[in-house]
Amino acid sequence: MKRIWGYIVIATLFFVLIWVWTLKVDSSLNYPEFVSGGALFFIIFFLCLFNIRKRVPFLPLWPAHKWFLLHTVAGFLALSLFWLHAGVMWPNGLYVQILAFLFYLTTLSGIVGLVMEKVYPNLLTRIGLECIYERIPRDIAEIRNKAEALILECTEKTGSDTLAKHYLETLGWFFQRPRFFLNNIFGGQNAQTWVLQQCSILERFLNAAERDYLDQICALAETKRKIDFHYSLQKMLKNWLLIHVPLAAAVITMVVWHLIVIQVFFN
Amino acid sequence: MTITTQSRPQRWDQPFGSDMTDEDVERLLSIPEIQAIEADKFPSRISLAGILRNDARIMQYKAGDIVIREGDYGNSAFLILNGSLRVVLAPGLPGEMLGRRKIQKKNFWQALKQLWTQKISPEFRDVQRYNPKSGLRETKDPGSTHVFLQDVPAILDSNKTAILEGGSLFGELAALGRTPRTSTIFAETDSELLEIRWQGLREFRKYDQGWRRLIDERYRQNALKAHLGATSIFSHLDDDDLQEVADHTLFETYGTFDWHLSYKKMQGQDRIEGVKDEPEIARQGAYPDGVLMVRAGFARVSVQRGNGSQTITYLGAGDFYGADEIYKTWKGEPNVSLKVTITALGYVEVLRVPTKTVEKHLFAYWESGRQGGTRDGNPNPGKRRRIQDFFDQTLAEGALQEWAVQERFVNGTQAMLINLDRCVRCDDCVRACASTHDGNPRFVRHGKTFQNWMVANACMHCADPVCMIGCPTGAIHRSMSGGMVIINDDTCIGCETCANSCPYSNIRMVSIRDEEGQHILDPQNHKPIIKATKCDLCADQITGPACAFACPHDALNRVDFRDVTWGGDIGGQ
Repeated sequence: MKRIWGYIVIATLFFVLIWVWTLKVDSSLNYPEFVSGGALFFIIFFLCLFNIRKRVPFLPLWPAHKWFLLHTVAGFLALSLFWLHAGVMWPNGLYVQILAFLFYLTTLSGIVGLVMEKVYPNLLTRIGLECIYERIPRDIAEIRNKAEALILECTEKTGSDTLAKHYLETLGWFFQRPRFFLNNIFGGQNAQTWVLQQCSILERFLNAAERDYLDQICALAETKRKIDFHYSLQKMLKNWLLIHVPLAAAVITMVVWHLIVIQVFFN
Repeated sequence: MTITTQSRPQRWDQPFGSDMTDEDVERLLSIPEIQAIEADKFPSRISLAGILRNDARIMQYKAGDIVIREGDYGNSAFLILNGSLRVVLAPGLPGEMLGRRKIQKKNFWQALKQLWTQKISPEFRDVQRYNPKSGLRETKDPGSTHVFLQDVPAILDSNKTAILEGGSLFGELAALGRTPRTSTIFAETDSELLEIRWQGLREFRKYDQGWRRLIDERYRQNALKAHLGATSIFSHLDDDDLQEVADHTLFETYGTFDWHLSYKKMQGQDRIEGVKDEPEIARQGAYPDGVLMVRAGFARVSVQRGNGSQTITYLGAGDFYGADEIYKTWKGEPNVSLKVTITALGYVEVLRVPTKTVEKHLFAYWESGRQGGTRDGNPNPGKRRRIQDFFDQTLAEGALQEWAVQERFVNGTQAMLINLDRCVRCDDCVRACASTHDGNPRFVRHGKTFQNWMVANACMHCADPVCMIGCPTGAIHRSMSGGMVIINDDTCIGCETCANSCPYSNIRMVSIRDEEGQHILDPQNHKPIIKATKCDLCADQITGPACAFACPHDALNRVDFRDVTWGGDIGGQ
């Protein structure tokens, strides 16, 4: 935490410096947009470097966690510089409007990602189970197979198909694939409630032997619920970058074209 | 219902050498060194002949073959039957000559070059690298391939050596003490050696006075004095006093050498049961009869709480306990007893310095106002907490430490500890590891968890590296510079000994591939060639461990559990 405050102070000083410089340039009847635009381009370029840094972990280019802190602070600095440069929240002209739209989207996706990265790890830890994202389909298949084997065993040993029918009608849907994605990503409890409900509504129709099987199925459902939770949150943690990075690439491309056009116009 | 039966497993179900015959045993019984042993002192169930048959094996070495390498860990000693061997004196042979990997940090440009030299298919190996020059000599037993020296006359010319002739015993101190070999010994002529594993050696020492005297005297002469001199409480003594302390010091061993084999079975056992099963070194409430110094291995320190024991900390090599209690008794305080119970975690070698000796050589020094280190447990004052500091901690405060001890993570000097409250499961660490290690990560970002901490399945570079015991070529070794445990890919023969020995399952066997991504096959049986791989702490990378360097959230740290203050800072967190 101490480190980030240091970076925030540096970023603030940088912004103030650029702001004062633009005022000075403006008072001398020059174009302050060149100063703020140059600074903004520099910061956007720096923001993009983080992605390149991630691809060369073997180069001694500062530890990634320092880059991450700088990236976060520089992101907010870029937003401030953008407003300073544009002078308004929403500029005029189609090209710069598209550019502003993409820039805002990139910033927003970055903020959403940042919030997720700060909130989700804690939620995942508290669920009390750890799983590797890539292994989740296999884990779910294993649980489903176990559940179905128990259902078959229950039918064979007790001669009753109550549990089997309930599985086919209701529980099977849950064991099929990850469920309650939307509810999970907002930290909801719907999955837990659903599992509890589906297990409890069946209880009074079962004898003691069948209840033992139901208890085992419910324990599997509970594990599956936790895996689903991991699936939802880890999917979000992995996939938000698939929005943020292409948007950032689009922004930098448009910024470069914007620079070329400005240069051509002024020359 | 059919009942499955099996005859009860016996100690010698798995003999050390598979081809020891009755004739071999008869022959061994006739050699002077064995003849001198009083066979009738051995119990009938552990007879001398039985030990020779099952705990020993006859090994043949060709001229130039290395028998033991400096720095290796081994669990056996050698008795020369025929031939002549040379022990290389200080400064010793260079690592590459011993079949070890030369570690050279990449410079910036070499590091950058990895960008385009990295192969697309993982685990690519240039087979030209594995040629006979690598110094491996295959024997009829695939598990005992020998590393040989290329030019023995040149080595004799350029190094100081001493001759070991028939009848000499060597390697017993490292085998019994679980310490690294202190020198390299190679065969000068074709030689025949009797290799005795530590279990047999232990019985020899236990039942035969001659061997006990020999081994103990050698230890006192060669190692004990230096060891005592290096401890914080006796470092102030001069040579004569040190010798006197050494002469009075008792050696004790607790637990089993092969603790790693029972460790996996023990997993999932009740924690209290785990403590109960451990051999007791000292009991809470007992009279203090000397200072206990851990020479090798780990010991659990626990106190009685309710109906169970709470682990408060642990002792590792160099730690000691009991001086404070003896000091209080010496000062006249009544009814002083040990405040903790100490039990062996796996295998522990303990030195017990008797009270009288401590009073004479330590307390007088303390009384003179000069402090010899700290009084209890901690040889590094200021760095780690003392045992007394743990007495007042609550059960909740000590839970994490107890977990680390129970899971034997305390063995790790570079354990991969992940703070799950920070980890976003992005796998940047895994990708960084893969990009610095032949496109294949050397760890799995998964492991045992406690609260928000996870110890991932990555080599912990253990203080007691059981993986190194039994490597036939010494491919897995501890680096002289840096102390990390690394594997020399050139001399690894894929025997899986290390992977099977690692109690934490942190070594993985991989099949190696050619440039086109095809598995490289053994021409004789068309099976893939496999190699042992594990975390090497990115020994050749300028960044240090790439995993920690690449973590954007500072969630991953390499830690020595001895330095971790739970609840406080871990890697700056």
